[in-house]
Amino acid sequence: MARNRAQTTDYTGPLKRMLIGVLVLVLIGLFLLWRIDSPRVERFRAQVIDRVVPGFDWAMAPVTGAVNILQDFQSYQRIYQQNQELRRELQQMKAWKEAALQLEQENARLLDLNNVQLDPRLTFVTGVVLADSGSPFRQSVLINVGARDGIVDGWAAMDGLGLVGRISGVGDNTARVILLTDTSSRIPVTIQPSGQQALVIGDNTAAPPIDFIEAADQVRPGDRVMTSGDGEVFPAGLLIGQVAEDPGGRMRVRLAADYERLEFLRVLRNYGHERVTDPGNLIAPEGLPGSEVGDAETTAEGADG
Amino acid sequence: MAENPAYRLWTMRILYVVLGVTLIFLHLLPLDTLPRSWAGPDIMLALTFAWVLRRPEYVPPLLLAGMFLLADLMFHRPPGLWAALVLVAAETLRARYIGLRDLTFAVEWVSVASTLVVIMIVYRVVLTVLMVDQAPLGLSLMQLIMTMAVYPVVVVVSQTVFGVRKLAPGDIDALGGRT
Repeated sequence: MARNRAQTTDYTGPLKRMLIGVLVLVLIGLFLLWRIDSPRVERFRAQVIDRVVPGFDWAMAPVTGAVNILQDFQSYQRIYQQNQELRRELQQMKAWKEAALQLEQENARLLDLNNVQLDPRLTFVTGVVLADSGSPFRQSVLINVGARDGIVDGWAAMDGLGLVGRISGVGDNTARVILLTDTSSRIPVTIQPSGQQALVIGDNTAAPPIDFIEAADQVRPGDRVMTSGDGEVFPAGLLIGQVAEDPGGRMRVRLAADYERLEFLRVLRNYGHERVTDPGNLIAPEGLPGSEVGDAETTAEGADG
Repeated sequence: MAENPAYRLWTMRILYVVLGVTLIFLHLLPLDTLPRSWAGPDIMLALTFAWVLRRPEYVPPLLLAGMFLLADLMFHRPPGLWAALVLVAAETLRARYIGLRDLTFAVEWVSVASTLVVIMIVYRVVLTVLMVDQAPLGLSLMQLIMTMAVYPVVVVVSQTVFGVRKLAPGDIDALGGRT
């Protein structure tokens, strides 16, 4: 019997080794392909996730709910104290609400006076967070809207208040949002009121640092950080958060979005801006009435010169 | 529990897939979307190594590669690299399975830990060479140490709960041969 076994392993050995070799080569080939042609493999990844995650959905909601209830249960112990705190905060909020309403009305009046056109195409699709990245090393979430709902790579995702991240990877029914805290996230921003341009660079912490500030001495903790729209990454003017200084003296963003409870995300539809590509015609457009006069003038000027 | 070895073999293979998918599912639950300052152990890896060193036939290479590739895709890691490394590591351990079978648990633990360290180093080196964004070193080290620490627990659980033990002399293995 023992001899038999030895013989069978001798026969299957080389075959098995070849299978393993082929498997390793395929896996490494996939990795290299991903490194060379990332979008194609990422699309494949999106398709796989699209298949698998909605299948988990029926189980995920109850389990997540149960765990959250358990976590909330701990806070019941100091419920009275919390109640008092909430009342106080509510009082303050009422004052702020009043101020906000007045400002909103004033803003509307001013916009009306200036005849400002807001971009009518900046609408949003709301999605529910299905799953997170599953590892402590990557910061991303999956949401339950995808190509079916017209989601496109690169759009901005916000919660009610602030920017959360950027769509990267769209399946048919799901899309992945890379959060601002992920190490691969870099967002061009404007810091108000000084108007400084900078980059917010995710580094796997809750408050990402701000880098490449033009004049760092003009930036104060408490300044507001908004997207700048540079590089056509995002529409301009989305709130990201406030500047804060860490003990090391480095500027960081305290994010306005509530990263502890990401449940619903708004994905902003953004079809990009029309560009002015023809600087010469700006001076004397041909299609305008009176353009012949303009032409005549320029030729006259040319002759003069 | 299983009179028919082939039946038991396939049950255990399916159990491995179920455990793997459950672990992926638990990782994916959107419980905390804040960046964490700690990293848990890679239980799936510990489980795989423990089974490879006990009953190699329960974890065939194709199944193992499939599970880890799925995990790569789901966890947004560079696809394929980690799976390939785990596969190579598991096959190295499998090749030493006969030798390790008769030694004490401490020896097994040391060889698993050294394998973990090696694949972690290779992984990070390859990612650095190809200039891929990677996780902070501290977190990776923490995960490595946690995985080593959790390995004995995984071994005990798979022995008591799932009945994956080393073959004793005279047992009938899954291929029907006597050891």
